[in-house]
Amino acid sequence: MSTIVGTALTQRFGADVALDAVDLVVDAGEHLAVLGENGAGKTTLLRIVATAARPTSGTLQIFGLDAMVERRRLRGRIGFVAHAPGLYPALSAAENLAFFCTLQGVDRARVAQVLDLVGLADIARRPAGKLSRGAQQRLAIGRAVLHEPQLLVLDEPDASLDSDGPDLLMKVMRGRTAIIATHDHALANRLCKRTLELRRGRVVGVPTRLRVVH
Amino acid sequence: MTRHEQGSAASVALMLIAGGFIFLFAPTDALQGPVQRIFYLHVSAAIAAYGCFAVVLIGGVVYLWKENAAADRLARAAALVGLVFTTVTLVMGMIWAKPIWGTFWTWDARLTSTLVLWIIYAGYLMVRRLAEPGRQSARFAAVVGIFGFIDVPVVHFSVTWWRTQHPGPVVLNDALPPRMLVAFLITMACTLVLAAVMIAIRYRIEFLTDQAAEKVVAPIVAQTRAGDAR
Amino acid sequence: MRSITIALAVARKDLASEWRTREIVPALAQFVVLALVIANFGFQFDSRNAPAIAPGVLWMALVFAGLVAFGRAFAAEREQASLEAMLMTPAMPAAIFAGKALAAGLLLVICEAVLLPALALFFAVPLTFDEVSAVLLATVGMAVLGCLFAAMVAQVRARELLLPLLTLPLWIPFVVVGGQAVQSAMGGGGTATGSANGLLLDLDILFVVLTSLAARFVLDD
Repeated sequence: MSTIVGTALTQRFGADVALDAVDLVVDAGEHLAVLGENGAGKTTLLRIVATAARPTSGTLQIFGLDAMVERRRLRGRIGFVAHAPGLYPALSAAENLAFFCTLQGVDRARVAQVLDLVGLADIARRPAGKLSRGAQQRLAIGRAVLHEPQLLVLDEPDASLDSDGPDLLMKVMRGRTAIIATHDHALANRLCKRTLELRRGRVVGVPTRLRVVH
Repeated sequence: MTRHEQGSAASVALMLIAGGFIFLFAPTDALQGPVQRIFYLHVSAAIAAYGCFAVVLIGGVVYLWKENAAADRLARAAALVGLVFTTVTLVMGMIWAKPIWGTFWTWDARLTSTLVLWIIYAGYLMVRRLAEPGRQSARFAAVVGIFGFIDVPVVHFSVTWWRTQHPGPVVLNDALPPRMLVAFLITMACTLVLAAVMIAIRYRIEFLTDQAAEKVVAPIVAQTRAGDAR
Repeated sequence: MRSITIALAVARKDLASEWRTREIVPALAQFVVLALVIANFGFQFDSRNAPAIAPGVLWMALVFAGLVAFGRAFAAEREQASLEAMLMTPAMPAAIFAGKALAAGLLLVICEAVLLPALALFFAVPLTFDEVSAVLLATVGMAVLGCLFAAMVAQVRARELLLPLLTLPLWIPFVVVGGQAVQSAMGGGGTATGSANGLLLDLDILFVVLTSLAARFVLDD
């Protein structure tokens, strides 16, 4: 069964069309990379899939549920890494995660596991605002998998990650359906079997199958 | 003539008839003199304004409940018209108050709550302009419209509890001579028709504006869909 | 039950952040003291007119301090892009809203702990239990209304302009009734404070219910 089925997804802001009738199908367990220049509509598409934005028109089903209606139910099954990390700078890395454990309704024990997973265990008590940009991004990724989501939506997660970033991404994407936006074609090919290129809000050509990983 | 032009012509004619009743039919007030004639339009405009804001409230509730774009457009249209009638009410009230109370303004319950009404719906129109057009602006405005409508009686009550000097509701208290009552009821009916026509015209403008915004996108979407089919 | 846990977690998070950064409270405390200084010069205050003027000064300072406190509560979330992160969880928007309002209300209470004694000190008016209870009761309603509209304006353009425009008219009942209560508590005459506090409590209940119903329309996209 397909995890994501979007048809004619369109987003306009006033007279500007950010996303223009994009169709999107992602199968369960599949990893899809969305490529494109800045302003091509990658972020818009990902925000719609993450239920952070509502399309102007078009339909979207995730896990067979209508994404316009069952938003709160879906949010418990989706992990989203947005453009900005969205952390509380005065709270420590561990406190940030603990707070989101409460919001997600998952056990606090997850905090330590996730800190290990994203490699922040030794600086867990440092305020998030004092962490490097890369460490903040790791924390944001950790928060996105706190509740073991089945679908992971990553908006340019590589932007500030260090050299072992791709390994971390591969680790968190394993066993999950994932959709990732990036500029980096090499990274896209490494992480995903399939890519989708956007240009000025539209899909370029037919979604191509690239080489198979694993 | 279009329907809207017919409606406009009819409401202008009705307002002239109302003017005839106010100035020719109704007797001059023994105490207040000719100034009392302000009462007819003043109270009618106030009732029309409350009616408009009730439409804003209902439109807002229906929008939040059903996400119906027409309900939101109706609320938008009624808010603007209501604001116009509130302005009329305030200005005419002040003109009346100067000779009768000796001052244009006093912080009486009814005056205060009418002024607050004006400020709230001016804020409503500001939210509409500043929020992202579409869903966000409609939702936020609906919330402002609902809170505004509930707040006005609360303001009125809280100030009444404190102090008041505005004349009581003469119409309800059966204190009006028959000829004055007739002139008042006719003015009120005509004013309500005028308000309804104004809302209808404004609704049409909002509808065309929405449609124009829609048109920018629709052909592009249609074109892309056709391209996909090929 | 879960909603209460979430609301408390949100409030605790905000208060912990404020405790560590000390961003809002010191600035607000300074602001209210300054407001008293300015009022002193503006009103040509002397010992005879103090009971008449002091309540007005109190409410002016409180209302503007409130605007800053509630505006800041959501502006910070917006700048950090953390509001969205909270909303991207299955947590009820009403619970998140309640937590934010609780924390922002408590910050204003801390600010009142500076304002009321300072008023008593500088204007030589009595500091009574009736005055404190009226101010605290008004704070509840002001906090829920202020935070609802602060959450709204955090998502639109020109938010500094819009917040007072939307919030102040809705706060008028609290200022009218609370002002009356404080006036009689300070010996300036007027209706008994007991009935004013009852009315403030009614207003609090009304607006707490209404704002919790409206929260999801303001917070959920």
